[in-house]
Amino acid sequence: MTTQTPNNGQLSASFRDPNGFLFSRNGILYRQINRAYEREYTRLMESGLYDRLIKAGMLIPHVEVDQPPAEKEAAYKVIQPERVPFVSYPYEWSFGQLKDAALTTLAIQKRAMKADMSLKDASAYNVQFVRGKATLIDTLSFEMYKEGEPWVAYRQFCQHFLAPLALMALKDVRLNQLLRVYIDGIPLDLASGLLPSKTRFNFGLLTHIHLHASAQKRYSGEDVKARRGSMSRQAMTGLIESLESAIRKLDWTPRGTEWGNYYDATNYSDAAFEHKQQLAGEWSQRVKPALVWDLGANTGVFSRAAGESGAFVVSFDVDPAAVEQNYQMSKKANEQNVLPLLLDLTNPSPSIGWANSERDSFGARGPADMVLALALIHHLAISNNVPLLQLAGFFAETGKWLVVEFVPKSDSQVRRLLASRQDIFPNYTRAGFESAFGEKFKIHETVEIRESERVLYLMESK
Amino acid sequence: MHLMPQLYLDPGSGSILIQMAIAALLGLAVAARAYWGKIKGWFGIKSKSADDDDDSDAK
Repeated sequence: MTTQTPNNGQLSASFRDPNGFLFSRNGILYRQINRAYEREYTRLMESGLYDRLIKAGMLIPHVEVDQPPAEKEAAYKVIQPERVPFVSYPYEWSFGQLKDAALTTLAIQKRAMKADMSLKDASAYNVQFVRGKATLIDTLSFEMYKEGEPWVAYRQFCQHFLAPLALMALKDVRLNQLLRVYIDGIPLDLASGLLPSKTRFNFGLLTHIHLHASAQKRYSGEDVKARRGSMSRQAMTGLIESLESAIRKLDWTPRGTEWGNYYDATNYSDAAFEHKQQLAGEWSQRVKPALVWDLGANTGVFSRAAGESGAFVVSFDVDPAAVEQNYQMSKKANEQNVLPLLLDLTNPSPSIGWANSERDSFGARGPADMVLALALIHHLAISNNVPLLQLAGFFAETGKWLVVEFVPKSDSQVRRLLASRQDIFPNYTRAGFESAFGEKFKIHETVEIRESERVLYLMESK
Repeated sequence: MHLMPQLYLDPGSGSILIQMAIAALLGLAVAARAYWGKIKGWFGIKSKSADDDDDSDAK
């Protein structure tokens, strides 16, 4: 689970803000608000800003609780924010998810301005997907707005949102992975250098990225305190609207996905497909998991089947186009319990940041109650050369229950993987699979998929 | 007097200067739009107000 300091339960991702911090007690997450933040918190709650943001689904709801604070001296109040079902990070989001997170941040800033408040940071890590919507989870992100002051979060907004979105839309969608390296967003000089030169003719990108990068270099370390205090409210509105328009103009539409035509190109029939869907649904009803991880989910067909039991399903795939399609579908249908995310299972998200403990690795955010691994094993065992016993060990640590599909060598998908290489996998047989997974799991169900050579299992880790 | 005692995020000198320059320009556009709205208002034409962000969703 999330890394904690040993004494008071304070979460290590929450150490930068002198106004308060998150702590965990008896498995419940609380936020201590310090006296230094009393005025701001009161304004947020009493100006109607909080209610407006909650109504719009843009801010995480919280209740004030009667818990002793974790650090008594500084404490003003303790609040309990609603639990986020699964914490995800910007390098795991599709283009559309990052874009919605950016637009939500700006929409919040506009509403805050009306209550004479302003966002003091614009970190993509402060946004999470709750009930399918990009939601600000840091209740302490607001400060008093003083007319004349510039937006302190401007640089952060450009690094966390505008730069990666521009790179994804105009250069290559995979460049969002730079966020995994640069935890405070993509440096603007790097973004400026990577973006195609035609982006200098786009007013938003010219100003907020290219000129911004040059200004950072030119005025680095210069004392600008004397020159602050002269940015009018109208100028601030203009700035926010300009960022909004720059973001809205960026678009990315998946063109044919790696596995996008997978369901058409497979060797299995509609009957086999429906059979798998039916089993995923039935077994999820039977196990009643709260959290399901669908690994290799493609566009989330089986995630949705499993989600019908009421589970929250994280629908992971390695293909940015599949994740984008999955997210757009989920958004259109207003689904609240499916979270599509980008994940390369052969190199899953590591723990990153200060002391490697600011952002949790993929594994640290588990285990899930149930894992779906459909049409996945052959990719890991054959394309990625992972021995079956190691695979079984990995899945046993990742979830309590496992719905896994074995795809034999005679299957055309596996034949395709073996077409260009030597078959060095003598144990990759149904018997070899059952014996390896049998060491780590109790196999409850074994069902041969109709009109195919594949087998679906329901297993429980030992 | 330090204007922002609560500041814990370094906004960066260059980022402040460039945003003030850009914002000054964009602020003029916002002002022009507001005046234009007023002029249209005299003739009974309702313009899309700058306050409409409460209706437009981020999605």
